[in-house]
Amino acid sequence: MLSTLELSPQVLDAQAPIRIAVKNLDFYYGEHKALKNVNLSFRDRHVTALIGPSGCGKSTLLRIFNRIYSLYPEQRATGEVLLDGRNVISNDVDVNELRSRIGMVFQKPTPFPMSIYDNVAFGIRLYEKPPKSELDDRVEGALRRSALWDEVKDKLKSSGMGLSGGQQQRLCIARTIAQKPEVILFDEPTSALDPISTGKIEDLLEQLKTDFTIVIVTHNMQQAARVSQYTAFMYLGEVVEFDATNTIFMNPNKKQTQDYVTGRFG
Amino acid sequence: MNLTPPSASAAPAMVMTPEGPWGRVRPARRNADRLMKIIATAFTLVAITVLFWILGMLVVKGIGGLSAGTFTQITPGPGTEGGGLAGTYLAEYGRGSKLANLIRFINDILLSAPSILIGLFVYVILVEPFRGYSGWAGGVALGIIAIPVIVRTTEDMLRLVPAPLREAGSALGAPPSVVITAITWRAAKSGMVTGILLALARIAGETAPLLFTALNNNFWFSPTLVGGVSNLPVTIYQFASAPYENWQQLAWAGSLIITVSILLLSLIARRIVRGGK
Repeated sequence: MLSTLELSPQVLDAQAPIRIAVKNLDFYYGEHKALKNVNLSFRDRHVTALIGPSGCGKSTLLRIFNRIYSLYPEQRATGEVLLDGRNVISNDVDVNELRSRIGMVFQKPTPFPMSIYDNVAFGIRLYEKPPKSELDDRVEGALRRSALWDEVKDKLKSSGMGLSGGQQQRLCIARTIAQKPEVILFDEPTSALDPISTGKIEDLLEQLKTDFTIVIVTHNMQQAARVSQYTAFMYLGEVVEFDATNTIFMNPNKKQTQDYVTGRFG
Repeated sequence: MNLTPPSASAAPAMVMTPEGPWGRVRPARRNADRLMKIIATAFTLVAITVLFWILGMLVVKGIGGLSAGTFTQITPGPGTEGGGLAGTYLAEYGRGSKLANLIRFINDILLSAPSILIGLFVYVILVEPFRGYSGWAGGVALGIIAIPVIVRTTEDMLRLVPAPLREAGSALGAPPSVVITAITWRAAKSGMVTGILLALARIAGETAPLLFTALNNNFWFSPTLVGGVSNLPVTIYQFASAPYENWQQLAWAGSLIITVSILLLSLIARRIVRGGK
């Protein structure tokens, strides 16, 4: 099993600063405790993958970083999630400003019901009022970086809903990076896409990590092995093991991790 | 790896034959299926026949009297906006809150309240104190009838907008007001317009509340809308029950005008919604 995993050559920069540090984090859906004492750190300009069986809390963890869980009053978190040293789950944080610094791409593509151009410009227009020419440049730049420009440059005014699933997902990535966030969260970004579109998104991740800190939740272990430098394996709301991706997949410390990455359970 | 099945080019060695003409479906079930199809078709035909009967009768009888058609409808503008905003509150801000549940419950009661009660209510608060029927009172009564319809459809349509779309808006740092106005309303636009049209169609034919409020006037209305104001439903009611042939003819014409104007309104609104996409 292990030999079929295609591991990318891993360049780990042990000196890279920690962008997000999670300390003693608990999370509750109403009465149900979904995360138990999570401690993790995410290095700047690296891809960190969160893997584990369904319901293990990996998406829950991701949704804490940008406080998207705050939309639902019955959900709450305790502990610390430090972004550049500031605790993002404290009440005095401006969540909208936080979310403009931490972008998120969802499992199902979520194009807004407006033109392709307006989709990409949406996030920019929220907090900046750039002149038209600069806005045009940034939209084009974002679409180029998400490898969508050549496919949509002649129909920027048509609806974003008319694109294919894979194109829609790249549009959502363009919309996210156009805002120039520091961190991008990917919540199973390819699970609704075909293999070709998946390949394109994975290539993109490789490119994007030169500028952004990336956290990706995935069900696909080959994908985690291909795109990430660090991997955390979670089970029942706890982090079982967190290490360099090569270690997790080739030489894990815990038997549970070994069983999961070799497909013996989960 | 050879992906073509071995016998792809040659003639198939064996073809599966179903057991009996319809495979494993029992005859009783097949007959039940046929029966239900026939019943469904029959009732569809009945509904369509009645609809075209009404439309046909309106056109045949109404067209003769059209030349004299005059009418006023006070479109309850505030009702539309108020209803839309209340529906938005219920679906977006007040999800699951006790206040929202209470409002929804009262709204549902209002939705099924007999329209003549609403006419009486407006009579008491707007006609009696001001000592006179007025178009304003009629507009308020129709607005009160329209609001619950619009509240309900707006809420239902907004609830159909998938949660990830809202989350995606919030994830970009958009405050709730921007998410609602720029994303959810846009996504639910066609449904919300349908709700407004439904409400307009409902009040266009209302007679009872107008009897107590706008009353009627056989002449063109005064711009201040004070005093009785002519309106089609009451005119139709009065003219249709009159013994004179030409009055009845006018009632038919009035009915045709209402129907056609609602139809036109729907078509125009749909065109606008589609054009905006």
